[in-house]
Amino acid sequence: MTIRNKTAIVGIGQTEFSKDSGRSTLHMALEAILEALEDAGLKPADIDGVVKMAANDDVFEIDLLRSLGLRNLRFFAEIPHGGGAACGTIACAAAAITSGMADVVVTFRSLNERSERRFGLSSMGGGLGGWMQYYLPHGLVTPAQWVAIFAQRYLYEYGYSTEEFGRVAVLCRKHAATNPHAMMYGRPITLDEHQASRWISEPLRLLDCTLDTDGACAAIVVSAAKAKTLKTAPVYITGAAQGTGSRTEMMTSYQRPSLVRLEEAEAVAGELYRSAEMTPADVRMVQIYDHFTPLVLMALEAYGFAKPGKAPELLREGKLELDGAMPMNTHGGHLGEGYLHGFGHIVEAVRQLRGTAVNQVARVDNCLVTSGTGVPTSGLILSKDAY
Amino acid sequence: MERLARPYPRPDRDSAPFWEAQRGHVLKFQRCSDCGEFRFPITPICPACRSFAFHWTASSGRGTVYSYSVVHHQTHPAFSVPYTIVLVELEDGPRFIAQFRAADGKPVRIEMPVNLEWEDYPDQALPVFVPEV
Repeated sequence: MTIRNKTAIVGIGQTEFSKDSGRSTLHMALEAILEALEDAGLKPADIDGVVKMAANDDVFEIDLLRSLGLRNLRFFAEIPHGGGAACGTIACAAAAITSGMADVVVTFRSLNERSERRFGLSSMGGGLGGWMQYYLPHGLVTPAQWVAIFAQRYLYEYGYSTEEFGRVAVLCRKHAATNPHAMMYGRPITLDEHQASRWISEPLRLLDCTLDTDGACAAIVVSAAKAKTLKTAPVYITGAAQGTGSRTEMMTSYQRPSLVRLEEAEAVAGELYRSAEMTPADVRMVQIYDHFTPLVLMALEAYGFAKPGKAPELLREGKLELDGAMPMNTHGGHLGEGYLHGFGHIVEAVRQLRGTAVNQVARVDNCLVTSGTGVPTSGLILSKDAY
Repeated sequence: MERLARPYPRPDRDSAPFWEAQRGHVLKFQRCSDCGEFRFPITPICPACRSFAFHWTASSGRGTVYSYSVVHHQTHPAFSVPYTIVLVELEDGPRFIAQFRAADGKPVRIEMPVNLEWEDYPDQALPVFVPEV
């Protein structure tokens, strides 16, 4: 049994992305959700399910429900593991709908990560328990530093220079430069500019690291049958999966046999291709979670688009450009458009498959979307047609 | 250094002996009494064989650098940049994170042999790795 093409995304909504939204995350979440409902031709009263991401989020379901005047919610869930959860919210919505536990499920992400709470800064002062107690006392305190340990190993094992990381940043900034919604609209970068940008935590430079963003995104999921009755062309959920790996920690899984393989992404890939009845060669477009450039390379390998250590060739050969064989992060990704913890990637995939994206790619009929790496993660394969 | 300046560990019931030993300048790890697997980060059960039985074994602190990062962007007031973090593959333990110090300014590299030294802070001692001489 699979969930292949049994559900669809029928509505998307998005606020502006900025450095200071000037309003609450609840306010933005409500805006994005109402826009997604309008897009789908649905009303708040139609919502009977809500799935949200759990990590460092100050939008509480209870406030959302009260504010939207929702009375008939039958299904609600939170997906854990930070940015690894984004596609997982859609997967959970699809599971709820195919099991009959909900009909119209809202998923969303809303953040004032730039103006209020910057995840990239360590803010830990007092005593630290859990997994953090083993790292923070030594000064390994931020996501960039945790990821740098993996990134250094990637360069060492495959003999690359940091230019290979830079090509990921250049590609994303190129796509963001022609996206008016992007924080980096009109601001492409060169590889030289990447190489000249300051070190954050070697081998990561400033331009290898995601932006911090204020903004919100939302998506509405319904059954394929219901989708056919709505006004907007459905985008089918052809594959949806979550996955984990061995000796899993939050971005510090340093006890694994290999630090250059993303075990959880490999697990998601296997389940996605199985449930979608596809292979990597069938994928026409990808939106890859890009909080840090080295993990984009490792993700491309984990999802089967390059052999281990060979992802840099995809970038060198132009295969991920808008006119390439498999365009990547057509909106500019976290590095260029903004950091909505993977939700912007889902919204962009829907736009591309509807044919309404700013950087629209011709003849794209499916798109693979990935969520946060270095943590238990999730992914989607979305399709234009329920073939 | 002020106690609150550095993010100090808050030991739990599982990890308390680990931190207590370090206050006496001993780095010790859980080892499964049934299959010999090291358990790190600390956990009540063996991820390999699911045995609850374990004993603590002291590490010599000798190992080789498996990966590292030189931190340049300061994000916490307790840690002045630049400083170097190493992930060391211990010869008698798991991979372990700590800071790297080289009195002669010798740059770190992967596969560099290292030894352990101790630095004392109020209420807690922490190990650092130094190049093997």
